[in-house]
Amino acid sequence: MLASLLVLLIIEPNLIINTMINESKNVVALCINLVAIYAVWLAILEILDKSGLGEKLAKILSPIIKKIFKTDNKEHIKYIAYNLSSNILGLGNAATPSGIKAIKSMEKDIPKTKFAMLMLVVVNSTSIQLLPTTVIGLRASAGSISPSDIIFPSILASLVATIVSVLLLIIYNKIKRGKL
Amino acid sequence: MSIYIIPLLLIFLLVFAKVKKVNVYNTFCQGAKKSISLVYDIFPYIVAIMICITLFRVSGICGGLIKILSPIFNFLGIPNEVCELVLLRPFSGSGSMSILQDIISNYGADSYISRCACCIFGSSETIFYVASVYFAGRKIKNIAPAIIISLIGNIIGAIFCCLFCKII
Repeated sequence: MLASLLVLLIIEPNLIINTMINESKNVVALCINLVAIYAVWLAILEILDKSGLGEKLAKILSPIIKKIFKTDNKEHIKYIAYNLSSNILGLGNAATPSGIKAIKSMEKDIPKTKFAMLMLVVVNSTSIQLLPTTVIGLRASAGSISPSDIIFPSILASLVATIVSVLLLIIYNKIKRGKL
Repeated sequence: MSIYIIPLLLIFLLVFAKVKKVNVYNTFCQGAKKSISLVYDIFPYIVAIMICITLFRVSGICGGLIKILSPIFNFLGIPNEVCELVLLRPFSGSGSMSILQDIISNYGADSYISRCACCIFGSSETIFYVASVYFAGRKIKNIAPAIIISLIGNIIGAIFCCLFCKII
């Protein structure tokens, strides 16, 4: 940030405050949108929670989650399961609130859960999804002959990226603990 | 077909909740209520990170970095035309979206470049935004390793997107 400010000070000093305020305005607009979007998804997540369906979902995913995230806490597993399944379904807007919930619940058990918290960011960053709906929609509206023919390469590529990043974090964790 | 998946899941959830005798209306409202406090909590962090990112772009440092890194990306099999997309994607969702739209309108939706770009966009994430929102107000420090690994993951994803788009 300091480097950016210094460069701007040299080339265009009057741009600095304007840029900051404009971007802040954009974020206010974004946040109003987010209130609307998260209201719907948090409501649905709440029903998922209270109906007990969420626990069933967590049970299905828990073997994988236990292995990758190295956590045994039921609550952590549940929120991570929500986050992962929203990502897989291509619901980025549902993934964010459930990810925040997962991080919040894991924070209570720091430092035991630090690895899981970092892992959540890494897994989210490659956004594995079965249906990349946004880009399929974009291609369809641009007149593509078969807008969905990128599904297969997309899934494969994000699968490779996810596996590599997960392994990298595991290796990093081992090095840090001096086990490698 | 795919447009029915999410609505059907939603209906299934509501029916399931009804069978389990959950007060759906009240539960829905309780959940929705949390939205304002959630956004209220993350707002200052989004402002801070977005201002940093915008200054980074406006100052031209971002553009310079893209110029320096492009040849390396080329070497890894990522075409010149999508380098900017790969490099901007972790910082800005709206910025990379407009680049993607430019690529699609310039090269046509079914060109190799467009397919690569779409694939890259679909399999990557605005890492800095996600990390700042997830860790907004949390006490945990030093999440840099996760961010660096995520960036590497996105680049690897991009390389494989370009590869798979070529052969599939």
